[in-house]
Order: sequence, then structure tokens, then C-alpha cells
Amino acid sequence: MNRFGKRLRALWRRRQLDRDLEEEMAFHLAMSERQTGDRTAARRRLGNPTAVKEACRDLWAFTALEAWWRDFRCALRTLRNSPVVTATAVVALGLGIGANTTVFTIVSSALRFDMAVDHIERMVALHPGEALANLDPASQPLLDFPNLRSQVKTVENLAAYRFSAVNVSDSHALPERYWRVQMTASGWNMVRPKPQLGREFEPEDERANATPAVLLSHRLWERRYGDDPSILGQSIRIDDIDHVVVGVMPAGSQFPEDAELWTPVTLMDMADPAFRRSLLVFGRLADGVTLAAAQSEVDGVARRAIAGKVNGPVVRVRPFLEMVGVYDQRAMLIAMVFAVGFVLLIVCADVANLLLARAAARAREISIRIAIGAGRARIIRQLLVESVLLSAAGGLAGWTVALAGLRWFDGMSAQGHRPSWIQFSMDARGFAYLAAISVGAGILFGLAPAMQLAKVDVNSAIKDGGRGAESPRGRRLASLLVGFQMALCVVLLAASGLMIHSTVNLYNAPLSIDPSNVLTMRVDLPEAKYPNADSVSGFYRRLKTALGALPGVTEVSLASHLPMAGWREFRGEVEGAQGKPGSLGQLAALVVDANYFRTLAVRLRRGQPFDENGGARSQVVVNESFAAKFWPGEDPIGKRLRAAGGHEAQPWLTVTGVAADVQQNRMRPLERTALIYLPYDTEPQPSVYVITRTAVPPGTLVEAFRRAVQSLDQNLPAQDVLSLEDHISNQRLNVTAFGKLFSIFAAIALVLAWVGLYAVVAHAVSRRTQEIGIRMAMGGTRRNIFGLVLSQGMRQVAGGFAAGIPLATLVTRGLSHGLVGVSPSDPATYAGVAIVLGLAGFLGCAIPARRAIRVDPLAALRHE
Amino acid sequence: MLILKTLARGAMHGWGIALSIQQTSEEVLRVEEGSLYPALHRLELDGLIGAEWGQSENKRRAKFYRLTDTGRKALAEETDHWQQLARAIARVMEAV
Repeated sequence: MNRFGKRLRALWRRRQLDRDLEEEMAFHLAMSERQTGDRTAARRRLGNPTAVKEACRDLWAFTALEAWWRDFRCALRTLRNSPVVTATAVVALGLGIGANTTVFTIVSSALRFDMAVDHIERMVALHPGEALANLDPASQPLLDFPNLRSQVKTVENLAAYRFSAVNVSDSHALPERYWRVQMTASGWNMVRPKPQLGREFEPEDERANATPAVLLSHRLWERRYGDDPSILGQSIRIDDIDHVVVGVMPAGSQFPEDAELWTPVTLMDMADPAFRRSLLVFGRLADGVTLAAAQSEVDGVARRAIAGKVNGPVVRVRPFLEMVGVYDQRAMLIAMVFAVGFVLLIVCADVANLLLARAAARAREISIRIAIGAGRARIIRQLLVESVLLSAAGGLAGWTVALAGLRWFDGMSAQGHRPSWIQFSMDARGFAYLAAISVGAGILFGLAPAMQLAKVDVNSAIKDGGRGAESPRGRRLASLLVGFQMALCVVLLAASGLMIHSTVNLYNAPLSIDPSNVLTMRVDLPEAKYPNADSVSGFYRRLKTALGALPGVTEVSLASHLPMAGWREFRGEVEGAQGKPGSLGQLAALVVDANYFRTLAVRLRRGQPFDENGGARSQVVVNESFAAKFWPGEDPIGKRLRAAGGHEAQPWLTVTGVAADVQQNRMRPLERTALIYLPYDTEPQPSVYVITRTAVPPGTLVEAFRRAVQSLDQNLPAQDVLSLEDHISNQRLNVTAFGKLFSIFAAIALVLAWVGLYAVVAHAVSRRTQEIGIRMAMGGTRRNIFGLVLSQGMRQVAGGFAAGIPLATLVTRGLSHGLVGVSPSDPATYAGVAIVLGLAGFLGCAIPARRAIRVDPLAALRHE
Repeated sequence: MLILKTLARGAMHGWGIALSIQQTSEEVLRVEEGSLYPALHRLELDGLIGAEWGQSENKRRAKFYRLTDTGRKALAEETDHWQQLARAIARVMEAV
């Protein structure tokens, strides 16, 4: 430390140190000379005084550090001396690094998605298997949690939960609907975070006669209760049952689902078979147990509980992570990381080309450095310091790009129902990534030119004044880089082409409804207050009347699902279609009222909607696909179908109409599903969407709708009051958002690759001016010359295209999940890529080629 | 060690040290002058010797080195160590 201090002090008194050394040497020489009387002998004995002084000075100084510092200052000077090159490189790098940081932050927040559970990768969920589809739901053994729990050995800590939406009302704010998780104590054992306020659930909370307890999420506590700790011990109404708030969970805790409320499962709940059936059972694989082993054991246990013989698995044991929302998009996200990484690689290749071109001009400078004693390693180091400095500046620019990009993506995803994993900010992790790719990129694009320069032939470089560095290797490297850029470009163009194709398919698919001027909202009636079908349908009748009376509302109807938002499955039987696959089994249905078809302007191809007054109970409407599937070539009107299963036979329902196919599939929008429209009066549901057609812009009616609901039941929230057009664009967000991102990346990549090609060809033309002059003097026509330059450039484009195709098929396979109506190897898309790339390549070569044919042979030759 | 021993006799400048070692060893040991100064500076950095500017015998400004307390301790250790080694070598040589 003392030594370090002395050296630090010497740093400030460098002049003094130099003078002292000088004087010491002079004194020594003087004394020595006096003794021997010979000046030369004295010098010979001491050796080179400068070397001695340097050796002493090195002791006092931080030599290695200072060398870095010198390199740094030198690099700064060089960069400042060529502002155009520097600015170009910084802008390109800024875009590349910024885009990468943006995507990294998004993807890492999505994939990191920490559920705060130990060993989540070993957790499994137990889903009903195919065999259960043909069994009466009332006898489903899988969901008999107590039975499984007492017998299964391969899955430890078996737990169960139910995820449902509940209405919360209290004196703090208007009633609202939130997601609630009811979970067994064994589930809580796996949760790492403890409540930040209050207590955890205790065994007493599970007793049959316990006072209902609830834990709030941090988000709910913040929004609804204004961070007020005095909420502890207070009572809130959940679905019209009083619950005591016992604690608040810390922010970000969202196991097993992203809920706002957690409640325990009481013994009384467990005693109800219907409740047990609604549970999702999960647990952690015991040590050393494989998924397959657990599958066979659990399936065996469940099978023993079924009396009869069944086909297929009764239970499917699947990794828990498959249920996490982001799982489906994992491949898409990883494809996106690749795509944006390619953009950065293209940027690096561009900058490397830029530096290679400049290397020619710097060959002389470097040669002189080598000539006066700089080692090659030293030269490479200095050039690398330069390129890393360049990329650090790019990183700084990239930071601002990333911040803007994140804000844009945030804004875009905030329009829809934001998935819970989209909660990102530019955190330390993102910043570390930014720093790492900045330095990495600097080394990547700096290394090749630096090696090139350090190998310069000193003699010829100094003599030739710079042309010596234009080695064939350097040129080959440059065109290789361009080919590489083209290949990456193909991948990005293909990916964005497929996404654009998907988006177009998505928008072109017939909706079969008129989505303009439609306002929708969701209402859920709590069971405690509306216990039977009469009270439920009574409420909705009053609500329809109230809404219909609002000025601007022309039609009001009810539906169990909005378009593009799925359906309900039930077991049914189709008359007269026996033997046809699927005629006895799961049928897809929507529950709607008779006015649904008029409200959404769904065309009825045949017949009419069910008759609301009177006969509705025995009537049904099917869609075109359903009619085509079960009664091809027959008149479906008058055919019958009914619900199956259960102990008593269900009444037959007669088909009164055939509706056009409405897009209903959530994941695959183009798929046509055979659908049944059941009359609402047959199955009055407590949770439905109210769909209204309006004569005024739907947005102006939102408040009136909320008030209308509240006027009928002041504890009831109106949820998701949304125009149908907004709902549809939310459903499409997945494809459109990723499509936009890929298109942006592809556009950037194309521009950058084009610049790279142009620069290399233009450089080649300027270098070959004399050769072209000679060719023209010897009788080469302009067409020859043009072709010569063009073919040289296009060869790189073609090579890049050929190399890019296999790479593209690899990467686009990851996209297949998000594609709509287009296969990952769609030939039309690849043809489009070829055309775009060919055009860009032609432009990149034609401009320098035009310059080449304007070469004046006389001037070119005189130059020699 | 030789430098430290020489300085044990009092403060001295670089030239003096070189001369002194040469004379004391009766011309057997000849100090490489080129490496003398880096050695001196290293010792100074290590805190074994101190340095200050003073007047030389012929009225010139010269840098005088002297032993510090740490240096004295180090010298004692080194001397012990050396003597042990020398004795050991001597014994081996005599034994043959």
C-alpha cells in the first residue's frame, strides 16, 4: 500500500522524477569520467543512460495502465480525425445494439418469469386425459384430489388450486372483478415469498367453520386500498361472502397464477364434489422420478377409481411450466432473439468493412509504427482499443434506442390485455447485456481489420504509399463479409415475410360479422346472490331492458363468448349421424340469445334463429361447418341433437337455422370449427358477455353501461367494457406485434446489408479505375464493363442467398407457432425474398457500375 | 544485500555505492552500473532505503541514499540467511 502510495505521488510529480533521474545520470557520468578520465569509457560502463532511466521510470509508473491510456487517447484522436466514418459506425452500431438490448430486455423478462417457487422445472400438473372425454363429468376420478393425494407416491407434495374470477365489493371503491386463487396448504408450502404484511394462512384457516380469510396481491393493495396497512383485519366482500384480510403478498408473487386474491381451501369446500372437480392438481416429481414413471403411476391410481374399462390415458402428467402463459411463445421469442442478433452481426460486418477500407489508408501509419519497433500484438491491441471505443460509443447510442424501443413496445402491448410477463424496465441485467454486446461487437468487427493491418508488409507499404495493404486476402474478406450479410438478410426477410403474410391472412379471413359500432362488456353474477337459473335470467332480462333504453343503443344480446375468443365444449349426440367420427362426443358450443345473430349481423344461410318466445328450449342453431360435417348434402333444418351423458336422457334440440361460420378459434384464427349455438334460455349462465350494437361511437357509451349495471346491483362490476373492434385487435396482437418487430428488423437489416454491398463494390470500382481504363482503351464496351462490375457484386448476393436459405428454414421453424395460414417454408415468401434481395443487390451494384462506365480511359491511364 | 550493507556505513550516492562495492571486494565484484540504478529505485520503492538530495564532496548536487529502519532489519535478516548458507556450503566443501 505504501508502495502504491509512493507511485501515485510520483504520478503527480512526473516532471520532477524525470529531472531527478536526468541529474542522477549526469552526476554518475561526471564522476565516472573524472575517475577514468575517459568520457567514452564512462558511457560504455553505464550503458545506454536512456534505457537505464526508462527502467527506473517504469518502477515508479503504472506502465501497463499508462499504455492503455495512451492507446485510448490515440484511438480517440483517430476517431475524431475521420468524423464521417465514426458517425456512420456509431449510428449503425447504435441501431444494432439498441435493438438487441430492447429484445433482450423483453425476452429475458418473459423467460425469466420467476414464479418464486423452488424447482419449478420439476413441477408437474395433472390434466384429464383423453379417456375422460367419454365419461360422465360427475364421475371424473382424476379431480378427486383427496384420493390421489393418499395414493400417489411419485409426485410429492400434491396440491390443488382453483382459479376463478370473483366480484369484490367494499367501501373503498366501486365493485370490481378480480382473479382469485384458492389453494390447498400443500401448495403454499412451495411458495417462497412470505406476505410482506400480516400473516400467512394457518391450519385454522382450513377448518370447516373457519372465518374466511384472504391474502391480497401487492398490486391490488396498492391500487384499491392505497397502500394502507390498516386494511389488515378489515372485512371485504368476495362474491358476497365476507372475508377478513390477513395479509398482503409482496409485489411480483404470482404463483400458481397471476391473481389478485388468494384464499385457502376449507374442509367444507373439499366436501363439495363440484368444487373438487374444478381443482387443478399439481405437485413436484419425487427425486429421481421421470415424467414417464410419474405418468404411469398416477394414471394407474386414477384408473383404479374408474369402475368400467376405458381407452387411453385417464390422466396426463405434464410439466407445470407448459401452463405458464409465455410457454407458447417461447419459440417465437427465441426466434426474435436470433433475428435481432443477426441485425447486430450485419452491423458488425458493415463496420468491419468500413474499417477494412480505411485500413488501406492507414497501412502507412501502421507500417511506420512497426518500423520504429511496435510489436504486432501491440498494434492489434491499439486497433482493438479503437474499435471497442467505437462500439462503446455505439452502445451509448444504443441505450437511447433501447429506451425508446421499450417505451414503444410497452405502449403497444398496453393497448390490449397485457400478459403478466410484460413487466419490464431497463434493469441492471439489461444494462450488463448492453455493455457486454458493446464490447463483444467491438472486438468482433475490429479483429479482422486489425489482424489484416498487423500483417502489413512494412517495406512495400511505406514505398507504395498505402496500396500495399490491399492484399487479395483483404478483398476476399470484404466480399465474404458481404455474402455473410446477405445470408443473414435472407433469414430476416423470410421471417418478416412470413409474419406479414400471416398478418394479411389474419385480416383477410372473413369474420362473418360486422364489428363496427359494437360495444361489449362482461358481467359475472356471484353465486351467493344469484343462486338459481331464474334469478340469473331475471337479472339479464332487466339488464337488457335497461341497456336497450339507453339512447344510441339499437340492439342488445347475450353470448357466452365473443368472436375469436373460443367456445365451450360439452358432450353431445347428433341424431342421424351415428358412426360418423365425433357424432357422439365433445361438441363445441356457444350459448347465445336469439338476438345475437341480428346484433352482430351474422348471416343465417338457412332457416331462422330460435324463437325466443316459447319454443326456444327445444331449438338450436348450427353453423355451416357443423352442417357440412354431420349432414353433408342434406337439409340440416329439422335435424336433432342433444346433450349426452349424465344419468337421465336429455331432450332433443331441433335445428332451426344455419349460421355463417364466425371466426371463433383463439389460437388458429383460420380454422373453421363446427359450432352449435345453444339458446340462452336453455342454459342461463351467470357469466356472459353483453353485446350491443350502437348508433353512436361505442366509446361514448362506456360510462352509461357501467351506471346501468350498477343501478341494478350496486355491488356488481361491469368488466372489460370494450368495443368489439378493440377486442379483435387485441386478439390479433400476438401476430401483429411480432410481425411489426420482425419487419422493422428486416428493414434495418436490408438497408445495412445494402450499404455493405454498395460500399464494397464502390470501393472495388475506385480501386480498379486504371484496369477499367485499360479495358476500355483495348475496346471493352460500356456494356462489358457494366456487366463486369455487376456480376462481381451479384455473385456475393447470390452466394449469400444460397447460404441464407437453409439458415432461414431453421430459424423460421421457431415461428411456426405464430404463423397464420402459411407454412414456414412457404415458396411464395422465399420467392419474394429473392426478388427483394435481387433488386437491392442490383441497385447496390448498378450505382458503382454506372460510375465505372463513365471512367475516361485517358484520364485513368494518365493517372498511372 | 550488497547495496544495503554498503549503505549501513552511511549515506552515499550511486557512484559512491558502485565504487565502494568494487573497492571493498578488492575488485572481485564489479557492479553493473546499468542495473545499479533500477535496483536502487526498487529498494527505495520498497522502503528499504531512503533518498534525499545533498551536496557531494566536489560540491555538486547528488542524490544520497541511506538505510531506513526497515532496511536495517531486512539487512540483518539477509545477513543471517547468507551466513547460514555460506556455512552450509563451506561444511559441504570441507566434508569432501
